[in-house]
Amino acid sequence: MTTAPAPTGESVRRAEPATRRRQGRSTGPVARDTAGRRIGKSALLLVIFLWCLFPFVWLISTSLKNSTGALNSPNIFEGPFGLQNYVAVFEQDFFFNLRNSAIVAGTTMVVCIVIGSFAAYALARLRFKNKVLLLSGVLAVSLFPPVALVPPLYEVWRTIGLLNTYPGLYIPYIAFNLPLTIFILVTFFGTIPQEMEEAARVDGASPFQAFYRVVLPLAAPGVFAAAILIFVYAWNEFLLASTFAPRDLAVQTVPVAIASFTGAVAFQRPIGSITAACVIVTIPMIILVLIFQRRIIAGLTAGGVKG
Amino acid sequence: MASSVSTAQERPSGAPPPERERARSRELSESALGRVFMAPSLLAMTLVALFPILYALFLSFFEFVGREQRGFAGLGNYATQLTDPRYWDAVRVTFTFTVAAVALEFLIGLGFALLMNQAFLGRGVTRATILIPWVIPTVISAQIWFFMLNITPGFINAALGLGDFNWLGQRPWALISLILADVWKTAPFVALLLLAGLQTIPGDMYEAARVDGASAWQRFTSITLPLLRPAIFVALLFRTVDSLRIYDLPKVMTNGANGTETLSILVQNYIVDQPNPGIGSTLATLTFILVLGVGLIFISLIGRNLVIGEE
Repeated sequence: MTTAPAPTGESVRRAEPATRRRQGRSTGPVARDTAGRRIGKSALLLVIFLWCLFPFVWLISTSLKNSTGALNSPNIFEGPFGLQNYVAVFEQDFFFNLRNSAIVAGTTMVVCIVIGSFAAYALARLRFKNKVLLLSGVLAVSLFPPVALVPPLYEVWRTIGLLNTYPGLYIPYIAFNLPLTIFILVTFFGTIPQEMEEAARVDGASPFQAFYRVVLPLAAPGVFAAAILIFVYAWNEFLLASTFAPRDLAVQTVPVAIASFTGAVAFQRPIGSITAACVIVTIPMIILVLIFQRRIIAGLTAGGVKG
Repeated sequence: MASSVSTAQERPSGAPPPERERARSRELSESALGRVFMAPSLLAMTLVALFPILYALFLSFFEFVGREQRGFAGLGNYATQLTDPRYWDAVRVTFTFTVAAVALEFLIGLGFALLMNQAFLGRGVTRATILIPWVIPTVISAQIWFFMLNITPGFINAALGLGDFNWLGQRPWALISLILADVWKTAPFVALLLLAGLQTIPGDMYEAARVDGASAWQRFTSITLPLLRPAIFVALLFRTVDSLRIYDLPKVMTNGANGTETLSILVQNYIVDQPNPGIGSTLATLTFILVLGVGLIFISLIGRNLVIGEE
């Protein structure tokens, strides 16, 4: 499919004569540099660090400001500082939003992985008719603009009573994330040597057993990568969440809450509680990224990927 | 996927009849299993993605007042919308946003990817850092940029010495602010995709070019860019389709005011704020055709050889 070239060092290693250059992944341009130039080039990475992180410096500093004067000042060092905004966020029942998002994103993730891995296995390994047609269909669905599905789905959900319910959110999330899931898993299943299954089949395993006992465990890293991405997309989704479950605290997800925090003064966004809520959501996600960096990148580059 | 064409013909050839028999039943059960395995995914995508599009097409032929259906409208809704300047404004805003944002993301992302590919120390840490703008919800980056650009507290204005410049309250700066926020969030992501592509280019090619006396620029244009084409294509396709759907940023930062009403904002407006399933579905259908059309044109222009090449 429209996958980016394999992210791992494998293809590089294959292309290079095995005797040369043990570093494997380090590609050409650095090879002849002096130590000084290497450090100079690495120092340029600071640009990227600043680009990615400076808004968070502002965010964290603002979320810790206690007085209205400080909150309205552009100076990020102007105090007094404290945890007042964080207390205010949890007084607005932000806990419920976190719980709702976790339930919706978790359900989406589990269901997507289960039914997506069946489909991906069929597409990667089994022989049946119309496979190319099916793959093109899956690709087409991944190009669908969600907003085009919202008016008709809203009418259907209103009729069958799925507005302001968890299924009203996770059902469309599952459908929208399936193409990505399938692309990632097809790529990962494709890297598992065919001989493994053939050996299992020769030993008398049925095709289903070959899938369940041999391929699935070997594909675990890919399954895990896909799972993280699905979770992140479902956790971050805003258009459907804000249309199908805009206010009800029993269902409202984190992005909807963060977009609609209201303050004491009408028409003025409460900067303190919004920044605090943003930090509360951001910190676990940053930890997630730091821990699962490699898996996430492998998933993103395998799946062709949407932003 | 090419690998799946191997097994059955080879194995049973020299085998005794019972073995061949079993191989055929295996083949049968394999295609049956294929159908069973595909069914849940196909069902979900058909019900929640395909059916709503057809239902939108159906609804778009009816006239509504509020949520009340008032009869058949034929192509009336389409005529109204396609002659409405508001629709064309939304189209123009969406495309301006997409072209500007994707172009900037690509250039900055490519720059970042080249930097990271050159660097020796800290590449791993940078790769983790680059994921941070990608992983946070767009709503959060929208709120951050809203407050950083807003007159109070005026962080950006103070940093740049711009006084009380009203970024979000006037044309064309409101749209430029959205582009800025989008580029901030997704340029690192583009860099990541391009870096993965760069790492598949064998270092020997650069060595050889260097020995032949190629300059750095020549090595870039005649080795890096051509070999990076598949990664560039994937990044551009997905960024373009995604930018055409843009909703979260304008919703949170400007709510569609000051020349920032994108197609998604316009469509969403007819669902809850001024409910009208007829007009909403008409706009949904038009947006669907537009976005899917751009994606397909994209694939057929640049990607045909890539997609087919891999199957």
